[in-house]
Amino acid sequence: MKRRTFVKGAASLPAFSALAGAAAYAQSKEIRMIESGGKSGDSIEVGYIEPLTKKTGIKVIRESPSSLGKLRALVESGQTSTVMFELGSGVMVQARKLGLIEKVDWDAVAPAAMFPEAKNEYGFGYQYFSTIMAWRAGQKEPKTWAEFFDTKAFPGKRCVPDYPHYCLPFAVMATGVPADKLYPLDVDAGFKKLGEVKRDISVWWKAGAQPPQLLKDNEVQYVICWSGRVVGDPAFGMNFAGGMADLSYFGIVKNSTPGDKAAAYKLMHEMSLPENQAKAAEVISYTGPSPELDPLLPKDRLWQFPTSKQNKAVQWFQNAEWWADNGEAVNKKWEAFKLNL
Amino acid sequence: MSSARQSTGFAFIAPLLVLMLVAFNAPIAYMLGLAFWDKAHGFTLEHYAGLLEAPVYLRVLGNTMRIALVATLANIVIGYPLAHWMRGLQNRARLVAIALVVLPFWVSILVRTYAWIVVLGNGGLVNRALQWLGLTDQPVQFLYNELGVTIGMANVLLPFLVLPLFAAMIRIDDRLLQAAASLGAPPRTIFWKVYFPLTVPALAAGTLLVFMLCLGFYVTPAILGGGRVPMVSNLLDTLINQIPRWEQASAISTILLIVALVIFAAYRRLDRKASAT
Repeated sequence: MKRRTFVKGAASLPAFSALAGAAAYAQSKEIRMIESGGKSGDSIEVGYIEPLTKKTGIKVIRESPSSLGKLRALVESGQTSTVMFELGSGVMVQARKLGLIEKVDWDAVAPAAMFPEAKNEYGFGYQYFSTIMAWRAGQKEPKTWAEFFDTKAFPGKRCVPDYPHYCLPFAVMATGVPADKLYPLDVDAGFKKLGEVKRDISVWWKAGAQPPQLLKDNEVQYVICWSGRVVGDPAFGMNFAGGMADLSYFGIVKNSTPGDKAAAYKLMHEMSLPENQAKAAEVISYTGPSPELDPLLPKDRLWQFPTSKQNKAVQWFQNAEWWADNGEAVNKKWEAFKLNL
Repeated sequence: MSSARQSTGFAFIAPLLVLMLVAFNAPIAYMLGLAFWDKAHGFTLEHYAGLLEAPVYLRVLGNTMRIALVATLANIVIGYPLAHWMRGLQNRARLVAIALVVLPFWVSILVRTYAWIVVLGNGGLVNRALQWLGLTDQPVQFLYNELGVTIGMANVLLPFLVLPLFAAMIRIDDRLLQAAASLGAPPRTIFWKVYFPLTVPALAAGTLLVFMLCLGFYVTPAILGGGRVPMVSNLLDTLINQIPRWEQASAISTILLIVALVIFAAYRRLDRKASAT
């Protein structure tokens, strides 16, 4: 509290604010980010870092993977070398509540047009991804979540996420709750639904690579998985309808240096440009936050992307605030539920 | 004189000691202390109280102990006869057998664990063989349950039991067994009265080692358990990396450490009693 009032007071002094302004211009020549790795990391490199380096000479060093525990360790150990940190939507809210990230200075980013949910006070939503139903090609095709969880009419083993926030909402929807009435989530109804079909759920996945592999091995026939893992492969069928759109954000690590932040905002600006997002979408089937992206994407692949008009309209958006408030309690129930499998 | 020698000895081990203290013991003490210390309120026991209020985490711990016990027993059932059989081999065959037991040590645990998916999966070697032989119509579910986790853990840990056991067995003097036979003892009596008691200390030590390693297993339950076999290390991963509630994780770790120490103390006591008689 005291520190804040001091900063406020100091900022009103013209000399101090001039100093702060000067610091903002002395941007770092090299910054570090921690991202989730794999193809997603490659898409950041090709789509955003390469154009940034070409324009400004700023280099970006990538590390992975990113977990909230790592961010907490970074901040609590007092290190300031990493400025950008990739966070899932729920994780970003948690990080904000734990005081691990700083506000994004949107004036400094000066972004091109963005979907409103991507322009968060504490994070730049850079990548949309969808959690959807998919199946082995040739299986009977479910249209709704009620059908997906109906193991009598749609026989076959299931593989679902071992994360309550990627799994429970769909189980609740299977009981007949429409997407716009989903929150506050009726957790008990969700567990009841999962309990009814638990014999047919072979695997609860932790890694996004598991469900497509299990489909290919014919260990399971129906999965809930991330869209980018299955689109474009003729071995799988899938349905975006009723799926959950979600965003990965980049947050600014608490106590980062002004120079690093200035460089990070430059990178965020590159991330807001639709032409760069189109380049990133060539590497991975997830899309950036520009509403003007569709015309730049290949027409025959539009159906694969989370934000293309046809897909964005039939999905609903994850409620990160609710999960940040209730996540830990639900997780305890989740562990208890899994002990009784 | 002797004190001077002691101090030079100490000088030699000091670097290692400092490294252990700074890089290993101090962080562990800090992590375990997290459960007791709250930056805002000072000393607290609320994280332990939380464990008692919501016993689900303790039940995961209990589940872990149960699976560790099953995997250890499986290890003994496979490992003891194997070590015994190796003792009876000729020199060259024995070398080959030891190499085969040690071989898995050189392969990454991740690779070994994934290999079981190929072997035991619905379309895997074992299931195809069973169906070809007409023993089953449907694939047998070996994976993504406790059976799969037990098989995987037993495989990874087998050398830890077999090697000490084998070392103890080849030290047993054949003349002891011959003497018992010449006094008219039937083979079964020789085994239970002479041979087995001589292997018990190594068996106990190996069993303990395997059990302790089972308690902390992470990779194998994560992959072969299909998320259906909750174990404490996977729970700790969630608490440390995802939620992140290090204080709760610290409380659970402390309990796990105490359980391990109690088992170890019980073993030492038994061992001392056995060697005293």
